[in-house]
Amino acid sequence: MSAPDKLMNTELMQEREAALAPKAEVQGLDFYYGEFRALKGISMTVYEKQVTALIGPSGCGKSTFLRCFNRMHDLYPGNRYDGRIVLHPDNTDLLASAVDPIEVRMRIGMVFQKPNPFPKSIFENVAYGLRVRGETSRRGIEEKVEQALEDAALFDEVKDRLHQPAYNLSGGQQQRLCIARALATDPELLLFDEPTSALDPIATSSIEELIHDLKKQVTILIVTHNMQQAARVSDCTAYMYLGELIEFGVTDELFIKPKMKQTEDYITGRFG
Amino acid sequence: MTEHASKQYDLDLDSIRSRVLQMGGLVESQIRRALEAFGSGERALIEQVIADDHRVNAMEVALDGDCSQVIVKRQPAAGDLRMIFAITKTVTDLERIGDEARKIARMSRSIHERGAQSVPLAVDVRHAAELAIAMLQRSLDAFARLDAEAAAEVIRADAGIDSEFRSILRQLITFMMEDPRTISTALDIVWIAKAVERIGDHAKNMAEYVIYIVKGTDVRHTSPEQLEA
Amino acid sequence: MTPARDLGKIRALIARHKRWDMIFGLCGLLALMIGVLTFSALFLDMALDGLPRLGWDFITSFPSRKAGQAGILSAWVGSALVMLVTAFFAVPLGVASGVYLEEYARKNWITDIIEINITNLAGVPSIVYGLLALGLFVYQFDFGQSVLSAGLTLALLILPVVIVATREAIRSIPQAIREGSYACGATQWQTVRYHILPYSSAGILTGIIIGMARAIGETAPVITIGALTFIAFLPPAPVQSTPPFLNFEWLFAGFTVMPIQMFNWTSRPEAAFLVNAAAAGFVLVAMTLAMNGAAIWLRYRLRRNIKW
Repeated sequence: MSAPDKLMNTELMQEREAALAPKAEVQGLDFYYGEFRALKGISMTVYEKQVTALIGPSGCGKSTFLRCFNRMHDLYPGNRYDGRIVLHPDNTDLLASAVDPIEVRMRIGMVFQKPNPFPKSIFENVAYGLRVRGETSRRGIEEKVEQALEDAALFDEVKDRLHQPAYNLSGGQQQRLCIARALATDPELLLFDEPTSALDPIATSSIEELIHDLKKQVTILIVTHNMQQAARVSDCTAYMYLGELIEFGVTDELFIKPKMKQTEDYITGRFG
Repeated sequence: MTEHASKQYDLDLDSIRSRVLQMGGLVESQIRRALEAFGSGERALIEQVIADDHRVNAMEVALDGDCSQVIVKRQPAAGDLRMIFAITKTVTDLERIGDEARKIARMSRSIHERGAQSVPLAVDVRHAAELAIAMLQRSLDAFARLDAEAAAEVIRADAGIDSEFRSILRQLITFMMEDPRTISTALDIVWIAKAVERIGDHAKNMAEYVIYIVKGTDVRHTSPEQLEA
Repeated sequence: MTPARDLGKIRALIARHKRWDMIFGLCGLLALMIGVLTFSALFLDMALDGLPRLGWDFITSFPSRKAGQAGILSAWVGSALVMLVTAFFAVPLGVASGVYLEEYARKNWITDIIEINITNLAGVPSIVYGLLALGLFVYQFDFGQSVLSAGLTLALLILPVVIVATREAIRSIPQAIREGSYACGATQWQTVRYHILPYSSAGILTGIIIGMARAIGETAPVITIGALTFIAFLPPAPVQSTPPFLNFEWLFAGFTVMPIQMFNWTSRPEAAFLVNAAAAGFVLVAMTLAMNGAAIWLRYRLRRNIKW
């Protein structure tokens, strides 16, 4: 398809291509911070209801790439996109200047590196996306908040204190709250930017477990520093280096038998 | 391959690999001495082969332990993962070859204790055994150099030993039919020939792991024709 | 075994270094005490001087030629009304400007220049504002020498303070909160309305109150625009019993304020008026302290539930 053949020439990948629908296709994406070209000609496909992981050393552009999907870069001056990210099934180019970034963000949710709950109650945190969308029915909001908390595996822990400040939650709970906040508005694609880098191992595994469960209902794209995490949670993995997509393939294969020497060097710890 | 960011990781892997080769060398000398004992019937040599098998076993245990250490500490991926994975399997095959050497020594002891006048087909068995030892050597060599081509040749060579074994078996049956007094000795020789044939199989397995390390493809249970592709 | 370290040497070194800690600690304490004691002495002196005149009469009487009967009624009512006008204009203008500069304005050289100017404006001597206001409000707009003119002048004076405080308060909100809001699909206004303003309100309020506390003590600009020094009447009440109930005539009334009343009394030759001035000074300081106290309390209340 859009991605270069070298990245997808394996049987496993072809099988997956045949069985899965693409949710988003990145086509020749370049991204500039001012004059600096941070992403160089990236093309790849994000498959529906799959977890796609982005790995690579610090500064390789994986977070930059992730933040293109919900036009986060529009918040800051001097950033420029080139190329397309086509979201299926309606074939909208997320990067087109005619497409409002707010529309994009209403379709695509995001969870950040550090848990960033609003200094409001647990309930209001989850309800925020709904309020932003002009939802006023009290019952409607309550139902959706509860459902989102259930989906984020948090409801049982917080059902008795929905109206207490979110800051009283532990780090792992805060991050699940942020996931619930993103889920409440039923996103088509959920972006995770190193969601567990600020969490302890137990909280990390609960988030990973959650990601695994969530892919039944939503397509997931996750940036992670932790290669083992990518191996554990993802179906497809993309390795990036210096703003380029080096290799994209089925996770099991990429971690056992990568195509490119650069990928091999990185995942075996020969990077230096 | 280039070096790891962690020097200690490189050292650990190198040490494991060189000890696999050492174990291979030990196993090879066990086979050689077992065969020599088979020819000469020298009692002390036979006992030594049998006694030395524990050294092979101890090396297997130690190498498996080191491999699990590397897995726990380094979470090896890709080429390193395949290497560790292949080594644990190679070590198992080497230990089995060690067992076959001991088996040959035992059978030799029983043949010579019986004081058999003539040992039928000793030359043919020795010839098959030389083939098996060569296969083992080339497997270890391919492992040391991570040479998939050499490994593929080893896999093809296994068919030769198999046909040697079948031919020895046929001839032994003829012997036994002609002279029932040779049956006990002939049966012992069948066991030895079978052990040699098994050594060839284990060497072939090891060659397959080398291909797995290098290419990442699992070539077990594929025909030699597919291997060419 | 590693050889034993020379612990005696290390301890001597630490002791030497700690001596400097102590020396600076003492110097700092001394510096602090000079300021605190001077202020306390001044305040106590004033309070003691003014104490005989402090009482209900003093607060509810108009100024008089006789020191014993003079009060500060017209002065504190004037101050309060002027502050009302100041707050009414300075708060929305200052907060809106601050929010715009922080959240909306593109960062380029124009906003840079505006930023620098705002910071500089905060340092402009207040009499300059008085002159500006005299020309603009009193003559150009013809508001006269009124409460409105004074309120607007002081509003202008504290506007930079409010803007800077607003910007500081907004800047202390972590970017992650904004990004979290935008990632939910919020517009800029939704982000400002639901997050920026609520989370920065404590800082903004503090800034406003500090600005007001400064304004209430300002004398020069108010004199410049021509505040009266002797007033024996109150401006018309802002609320009345007949429709339309609200009355804005007070805006255009003549007025005086606390510092002017004080200034007036201190320039009288009779010693009794100096007592009056001290009493008025005490009330003014009390008003300022009360405002600062309110600022601290509000900040505590509003920040209680906000942690980053």
